[in-house]
Amino acid sequence: MAESLVAARKPARKPVTGARRPGAGRHVRRYWQLWLMVLPAVGFVAVFMYVPMYGIQLAFREFDFAAGLTGGDWAGLKYFRQFFDSPLFWPLLKNTFVIAFTTLVVGFVAPILLALMINQIAGGRRKRVMQTATYLPHFISIVVVVGMLQAFLNPSTGLLTRALAPFGLDGVNFLGDTAAFVPVYVISDVWQHCGWNSIIYLAALSRVDPQLYEAAKVDGANRLQLIRHVDVPSIVPTMVILLILTMGGVLNTGFEKVWLMQNNLNLPVSEVIATYVYKIGIFSTQFSYATAIGLFNTVINFAFLIAANAIARRVSNWSLW
Amino acid sequence: MTTPPVLSRRAFVVAAGLTALAGCSSRNSAGDPNTLRILVNKHPLTKPISTMEWPKQLEKIAGVKIQWQEISADWDQKKSTMLAAGDVPDLIVGTNAITNADLGTYRTLFENLADDLDALPNVKALFAAKPELKSMATLTTGEVYAVPGYKRFWPTTVTHQYINKQWLDRLGLKVPTTWDELYTVLVAFKEEDANGNGDKNDEIPMDWSPVGTGGFGYFQPSVLLGSVGLPIAGGGGQGYFLEDGKVGNFLVDERYKRVIQFLHRCYAAGLISKNVMTQDYSAYQAVGRGSGKVAKVGFSWGWTASDRFGAELADQYVAMAPLLAEAGQTTPVTWTYDSYSENFPSNQILMSARTSNKQAALKVVNAFYDKEMSLQVLWGDLGRYVKKVSDKEYEVLPPADAKVDPSTWKWTVTIADAGPVWIRDDIEVKLPADLDEAVEQTEPLKKALANMDVNKDVYPFQFIQMKPDDTNQLGLNDTTMLNTAMTKFAEWITKGGVEDQWGQYVQQVQNAGLQKNIDTYQRYYDEYAKTR
Repeated sequence: MAESLVAARKPARKPVTGARRPGAGRHVRRYWQLWLMVLPAVGFVAVFMYVPMYGIQLAFREFDFAAGLTGGDWAGLKYFRQFFDSPLFWPLLKNTFVIAFTTLVVGFVAPILLALMINQIAGGRRKRVMQTATYLPHFISIVVVVGMLQAFLNPSTGLLTRALAPFGLDGVNFLGDTAAFVPVYVISDVWQHCGWNSIIYLAALSRVDPQLYEAAKVDGANRLQLIRHVDVPSIVPTMVILLILTMGGVLNTGFEKVWLMQNNLNLPVSEVIATYVYKIGIFSTQFSYATAIGLFNTVINFAFLIAANAIARRVSNWSLW
Repeated sequence: MTTPPVLSRRAFVVAAGLTALAGCSSRNSAGDPNTLRILVNKHPLTKPISTMEWPKQLEKIAGVKIQWQEISADWDQKKSTMLAAGDVPDLIVGTNAITNADLGTYRTLFENLADDLDALPNVKALFAAKPELKSMATLTTGEVYAVPGYKRFWPTTVTHQYINKQWLDRLGLKVPTTWDELYTVLVAFKEEDANGNGDKNDEIPMDWSPVGTGGFGYFQPSVLLGSVGLPIAGGGGQGYFLEDGKVGNFLVDERYKRVIQFLHRCYAAGLISKNVMTQDYSAYQAVGRGSGKVAKVGFSWGWTASDRFGAELADQYVAMAPLLAEAGQTTPVTWTYDSYSENFPSNQILMSARTSNKQAALKVVNAFYDKEMSLQVLWGDLGRYVKKVSDKEYEVLPPADAKVDPSTWKWTVTIADAGPVWIRDDIEVKLPADLDEAVEQTEPLKKALANMDVNKDVYPFQFIQMKPDDTNQLGLNDTTMLNTAMTKFAEWITKGGVEDQWGQYVQQVQNAGLQKNIDTYQRYYDEYAKTR
C-alpha cells in the first residue's frame, strides 16, 4: 500500500470527554471502566499512527540506506518542488479529485437513501432479505470485483455491454473509454459498499420513538412526509459525523481498485496520486520522493477534515470537536 | 438480521500488512551457523522446494541445514520493505530478484564476492569461459555482488510470429510478406468463415499480448518496428534502442509512427481484437487457444505455437519471417534481440554481507554452478526429470503427465529459469519439446536477426551497472514519459489521430526529460564499449 510509505495518517477520533475540570481524579474514579475499554484503541493509535510519524522527515531528506531512515542529508523542499514541477502534477491532482469527490458524494447519499427505503419495507422477513442482499457484495474481494467488471463489460462478449446495446450505448468500451472510467468505478463502488454503509443508518433509524410516527400519522402525514420530518432529522447527527470522517480520507482513493482497473486507454483519467506514488516509490525505489507526495496528500486530507468540521459546526451544530 | 464480526476493510488491510511485515522480519540472519536461510523468488506454478531432490544435495554439500523461504507473489513490494529494513537472508536466489537498481541503493547489504572467487571454482571457471559474464557481474569499481548465469540453449528471440496456415489454405491465400499483404489476408479472415465452423463473425484476425502502462514486452506489436529496420531488444521495454552505436528512443521515432499508422488502419477495419487494450493475459491466452479444434485467432505472436495456441491447435499455425513494411524496400528488416536476457540471465544469486556461516554459503553458491546441479535446477532432478546418458550426454524427459506442456512441467517440478545455472557448452543435451520448437520457429527470423550487429544494434542493458542517481533520474523521467506515450499508443491505434498530434506529442515526451535519459544511456554505453 502506497499509504504505508507515509507514516502520517488522519488523526484518530479522540474519546470525547469533558474539558478538564477540577475533580479529574473523581472523574477517573467514576468512569475508570470506560477509560479501560478505550485504552487498547488509544494504544493502537499511538503505536501504529503517532510513533511512525518520525518517518515523515524522510520527505525532507535524501534517502540514504546506509545512514538509516533519519540519517540522510537534509534536502529541504527539493522533493516537494520536484512534484509540483512535474508535468504530471495537475493531471494527477485533477484525476484524484474527480474520482474522490464523485465517490464521496454518490457514496454518501446512496446508503442514506437505501436505509430510508429498507426502513419503509413492511414485514421483518422481506426487510432482512433485502438488507442481506445489499450488503453481501461488501465481502467480495476487490480483485474479484474488478475481474467481474472485466467479464461483464468486455467490449465484445460482456453481459452488460450486450444488455446496454439496445439503449444506444453500442460500441462503448467501458473498460477503456476515458469518459466511462469514473462512472464504472463509482457505480461499482456504490453497488459494493452501499448496503454495508447503510447499516449504521438503519441502526440510527431503529432508535426512533414509534410514538413520533404515530403522532405524525395522526396529524395526517403521508409516507414521504414521515421520511422527511421524522426519519431524516433522526439520522442527521450520524450523517454529519460520517461525512466529516470520510472527508478526512477524501484523497485516499481506493488504490487497489484504480490500480487494477488501469490500462493504457484510461490512463489519462486513472493515474491518481496513489498509483503514481506506488510506481515511483515501490518500482523506482525513490522513498524520499514518494514520502513527500504522500505527505502532501495527507496535508490536503487534513485541511478537508478541518474544513468539513467547521462547516458542520456552523450548519448543523454537530461536529467532532 | 445477523451481523458478522465487524472488521473494517482498512483495519483488515492494515492487519494483513502487519502480518506480512512480521512474516518477513524473522531476524535470525546473524543467528544459527548451522542453518542457512535461502530466499527463493520462484514462479507461482513451482511446487514447494521440499518436493525436490537437488536442494537436499545442496544441504549435503554445504554441510548445513537449509531453510527455504519461498516467495512467488508480490515480490516487488516485499522486496522494498525487506531491503529498507536491512534484513536479508543468507542467500537470495532468483533471476533479477535483486536488480542492478536495487544494488545501487542497497549494495552494503550484500557480500562482495570478488575476493572470494577462489572459494568459488565453478564461478571462476564460468567467468573464464564467458568473459562477457564477468564484465556483466563486475561493477566499474571492481566489486561483484550478484552472480549471473548462462543458459546456452535459448533462441535469440523470445517473440515468434505466427499465422494460421489452415485458414490461409481454406481461403486460398499465401503467407503474407508485406504489411499490405497482411492487411489483405486479415480482411479475408474477418469477412470469410476462415475457421470453417459456419460462423462468419467469430474470427479474430489479429491479437497481441496485453501492453502494460510501464512499456513494451514480449509478444507485442513492437516487433513490427523490425519491418522498418528499427532494432529493439527485449520486446521494446521503455523504447530505448541502439542503432550503429547511437542510443535513441523509438517512442519519438518517425518509424514508430509508421507502425502506429498501420495498426490503426487494421484496427479501424476491425482486424484487431476489440479487447486488445483492456484484456488481461489469461483472457488473451484463452482466446488464442480457441475452442476444441476451432481456432479463433489468425495472426499473433508468442513463445511457441503450442504455448500460444495450445497443443490442439498448434499444428494449424506456421512461424513466419518478419514482414516488409512495403514490397521491395531497401531497408533491411530487423527483429527483437532477446538472447542477452535469456541466455545470460543476470543477478541470479546474492549473498548477505552478514551471513552467519560464510563458508557454507559460498559452498552453496559454488554448487549451483556445478555441471549436473545446473541441469537439475533448470529442468528437474536427475533420474526423475532428466536422464543421464553418459558424462557428456543428458536427456530432458518429456512430462510424466501427458496433458501438461513441457514448459509448464519444468516450471512445476523445479525453480527452472529462476535458479542460478551454468549449462556447459561441451555437453550434449536432448532438449524438451518446447525449447526445440522455439529454436525451430526462430528459423524464419534468423535473417532479420543477422541484420543486427550485436555490438552496435543491441543495447547491453544487462551488462551495465548504473549509479543510483542515474537510475533515479531514469526512473522518474520514464514514469512521466510513459504516462503520455503508452496512453497515446492505445489511443492512436483505437481512435487514430497520430498524424495531427505527433508534433505536440514529441514535444511532450521531450519535456519529460527524454533527452537527458538518452544521454545517460549513451554515456554508459560508450564507457562499456571502450572496455570491450
